[in-house]
Amino acid sequence: MEKTTHFGFKDVATEEKQRLVRGVFDSVASKYDLMNDVLSFGAHRLWKRYTIASSNVKTGDKVLDIAGGTGDLAMAFRKKVGDIGQVVLSDINAAMLNEGRSNLTNNGVLGVDFVQLNAEQIPFSDNSFDCVSIAFGLRNVTDKAKALAEMYRILKPGGCLLILEFSKTDSELLKKFYDFYSFNVMPKLGGIIADDEDSYQYLAESIRKHPDQESLKTMVLEAGFGFCEYHNLSGGIVALHKGIKT
Amino acid sequence: MQHFLLEQALNYFIHHNKVDLSALNGKTLFFALEDLPLSFNFICTNDRIFVTAEEDLSADVDVKLRTPVFLALLQGESLTDLLRQDKIKIHGDVKTVQLLVDLLQKIDIDLEEMLAKHTGDIVAHQLGKFAKNLKKSKNPIDSIKDELTTLLITPSASSLFKNKGV
Repeated sequence: MEKTTHFGFKDVATEEKQRLVRGVFDSVASKYDLMNDVLSFGAHRLWKRYTIASSNVKTGDKVLDIAGGTGDLAMAFRKKVGDIGQVVLSDINAAMLNEGRSNLTNNGVLGVDFVQLNAEQIPFSDNSFDCVSIAFGLRNVTDKAKALAEMYRILKPGGCLLILEFSKTDSELLKKFYDFYSFNVMPKLGGIIADDEDSYQYLAESIRKHPDQESLKTMVLEAGFGFCEYHNLSGGIVALHKGIKT
Repeated sequence: MQHFLLEQALNYFIHHNKVDLSALNGKTLFFALEDLPLSFNFICTNDRIFVTAEEDLSADVDVKLRTPVFLALLQGESLTDLLRQDKIKIHGDVKTVQLLVDLLQKIDIDLEEMLAKHTGDIVAHQLGKFAKNLKKSKNPIDSIKDELTTLLITPSASSLFKNKGV
């Protein structure tokens, strides 16, 4: 029997999901940053800033940003690690990686390496990074457990994993507003600004299918991390999971 | 938030003063304040310290003390003296605790410099001055209360606005 997984609320063949997700990001790549600003009212910049501050990355560190897309985290990490450190910006999607390369060049940020990679098969050796980050990318990965195991493998002992992702809010009022906004406003805005309503419908659906805070914490610990905690941001709409390879 | 701020301050200090953490690497220390629902886990690894509230962690050393004793430690009180007076309960290696306490006592970061990046120089200077007064104070909690009271009743007398013509 064919193995299936979810793509938003739809069940699709496991091999099919990667192609469908690629289609979403090929379509939205050029408007990705603008859409993030509009849809989150600019809050994604604060969430990312908090992520960078929580990383404890310092001069000389090696950092891998997975699903780094347009490169905003990589830019901030580059400042922190300095010239003697290394930042690798990676994404499975070539269109997003090209956007990242252009963004970094336009901002005068040099010395970042670009690698197109699948989070389930990371082409780096064991114990090679001080920090691995993935912001708003894990929910698009087909086999999350495999990806987390790979992140664990490439981190040095004591290295830090940061997962910034949409999550679940406990507030009933916020949940009602958020559901209305996600399913009625976001796809419409996607249609108007990025000329792609379906991709933003997928965004809303994929958030609902993503594991909640506690489930993701369990997955991180099961991947081998000795420690994991999470911080809810904006009432739990987004959560930052921080794992340490002890 | 207090864990995040302490973690930032510690790592800022360690990084800017090139502190050698090798003796603490791989250790986890648990500090619990008995009179407050507040605890800190210090995970020392990869030449940095992560501070967390997580209580399920298995720590190498458990330290239990009351808030005034914790503040006294931060202000330079000797760990040995406090141990002799039975003001601190330690389960585990006392030497490891001493190493962390030494580090906590040394933290004298330039708060103004850190804040100025976010608030601008004037606000950062006033807050930095206030923090310095607070650190010198024997009872920081009372100092904060006094400062807030002054700020609400006669703002011009507050150390935050003194000589600013408010």
